[in-house]
Amino acid sequence: MVEKKIAVRSQEANQRRVLDRATRQRRLTRQLEALEKDNFQDDPHASLPQLAKRLPQFDESNESSKKRKKTRGDHFKQRFRKNFQALLEEENLSVSEGPNYLSACAEPSKLPQRHFCAVCGFPSNYTCVSCGARYCCVRCLGTHHETRCLKWTV
Amino acid sequence: MTTLVLDNGAYTAKIGYSHEKVSVIPNCQFRSKTSRLKTFTASQLDEIKDPSGLFYILPFQKGYLVNWDVQRKVWDHLFGKEMFKVDFADTSIVITEPYFNFTSIQESMNEILFEEYQFQAALRINAGSLSAHRYFQENSSELCCIVVDSGFSFTHIVPYCRGKKMKDGICRLNVGGKLLTNHLKEIISYRQLHVMDETYVINQVKEDVCYVSQDFYKDMDIAQLKGEENTVMRDYVLPDFSAIKKGFCKPREEMNFTGKYKTGEQILRLNNERFAVPEMLFHPSDIGIQEMGIPEALVNSVHNLPEEMQPHFFKNIVLTGGNTLFPGFRDRVYKDVRSLTPTDFDVSVVQPQNPICYSWEGGKLLSENPDFDEMVVTREDYEENGHFICEEKFDI
Ligand SMILES: Nc1ncnc2c1ncn2[C@@H]1O[C@H](COP(=O)(O)OP(=O)(O)OP(=O)(O)O)[C@@H](O)[C@H]1O
Ligand SMILES: [Mg+2]
Ligand SMILES: [Zn+2]
Ligand SMILES: [Zn+2]
Repeated sequence: MVEKKIAVRSQEANQRRVLDRATRQRRLTRQLEALEKDNFQDDPHASLPQLAKRLPQFDESNESSKKRKKTRGDHFKQRFRKNFQALLEEENLSVSEGPNYLSACAEPSKLPQRHFCAVCGFPSNYTCVSCGARYCCVRCLGTHHETRCLKWTV
Repeated sequence: MTTLVLDNGAYTAKIGYSHEKVSVIPNCQFRSKTSRLKTFTASQLDEIKDPSGLFYILPFQKGYLVNWDVQRKVWDHLFGKEMFKVDFADTSIVITEPYFNFTSIQESMNEILFEEYQFQAALRINAGSLSAHRYFQENSSELCCIVVDSGFSFTHIVPYCRGKKMKDGICRLNVGGKLLTNHLKEIISYRQLHVMDETYVINQVKEDVCYVSQDFYKDMDIAQLKGEENTVMRDYVLPDFSAIKKGFCKPREEMNFTGKYKTGEQILRLNNERFAVPEMLFHPSDIGIQEMGIPEALVNSVHNLPEEMQPHFFKNIVLTGGNTLFPGFRDRVYKDVRSLTPTDFDVSVVQPQNPICYSWEGGKLLSENPDFDEMVVTREDYEENGHFICEEKFDI
């Protein structure tokens, strides 16, 4: 009897893959990056196939500016078309002294971590074995398995 | 000679001549599903009848100005004949920038202001410094204050002593209104209705129904109750931009706890989301951002300052920026800071009448200050000395 029970359990466990720490961290990072996005949908301009080709695009490239006379604006564009990450690296803060953008970031909290159900948002006491997400009850665990858990590809 | 004051936020520009009142205008461009060929700039948002699925083109990334194309379009619109009709040769500008603004952004700022628009003179300064200026003007007996600026991109906590910014105490939380709206979109989309494309609508939902809890776990308990007893739950009627121009909460007495309405409007049911979303400002670690929340960071920042100054900061906490408008925000900051500080310290938290325009009002006051002419860089100065003179004079 006892033997059989163990067999069943380990079979169940085998069915669900367990994500390693690096994968879980990658998922979290991706989720947090998504919270910085300006839009989730496509640019309405982009969905106009032929027109999009003829009309000047928002992210106009150098090609079309060659034709036009160079204005001050183009000069700025060339020089300062850098994204946040590029600008941050350019500042070389790791070697700079005194307070700066990086050093000003708030420290990790000294208060205990709180846990909430990934499905309903209420306080949770359990952790999903496969992916580390939190859940509060069997029902939410079910929803979690069906919708997210291992279904998110990394 | 006139002065234009521009608090150039990542979400809205707070702009006006120093002798006039302030206007709050979106600092971005938009595209709409209904007129896909057109790009709308700043206040032209009003021309969009149906802002569902509104597409945003923002000049800022993580609070820093990176897209100059867009920023110049917005400024052309603000400065031009449609709005402020600026006579550049006869106008000085006071303009704000984020703390620790990158060198190359500062330089392009100088170039655009002096070479492109050709303002007569400019003062570049942090929005928080303008707020501190205003606070010290109104409370002339106070030596210190600590400004909390919680806007679109992030939240800064910055101590000022006798008008001077104390750089060592500056603390930034990477939580702002943009993150809150995106988080609300994400959880609503997962739990009930796909709204990932509806930034505009859900941002309004956030401003209309979210609040800061005074007792987080108690509100969680209430939100788990059924029916009438659940005093947290709200049903929000979504706008359809024809019959319903603006979303709103069903009045409590019209609420149907089964969630079924005969009237057929589209309803969002908001429960723990109402207070769990703004809670990110107090516990960023709840969603995996390993940073202190506002009260803890504030207390931590003060503890790093000279001991004899500390009581002065706790007595002069000033709240600015859009997120401080959540109902309950001030009381919660007070409560948490109080519980984290020794009882022999006084704690006082001030929320100005208009926390979004407080720094603009500070800029207005500053431009009327006798020292103002000493603080600006004139175009002449700039033409003679270049970036150097700006670096000397401006404290960014
Ligand atoms: N009544 C309100 N309740 C809650 N949030 C609000 C309210 N009014 C505005 N906000 C939020 O405040 C944010 C904008 O605040 P603010 O105008 O201070 O930012 P900003 O100056 O444009 O940005 P930043 O300072 O980050 O560059 C937006 O995310 C907006 O949704
Ligand atoms: Mg701001
Ligand atoms: Zn749950
Ligand atoms: Zn899981």
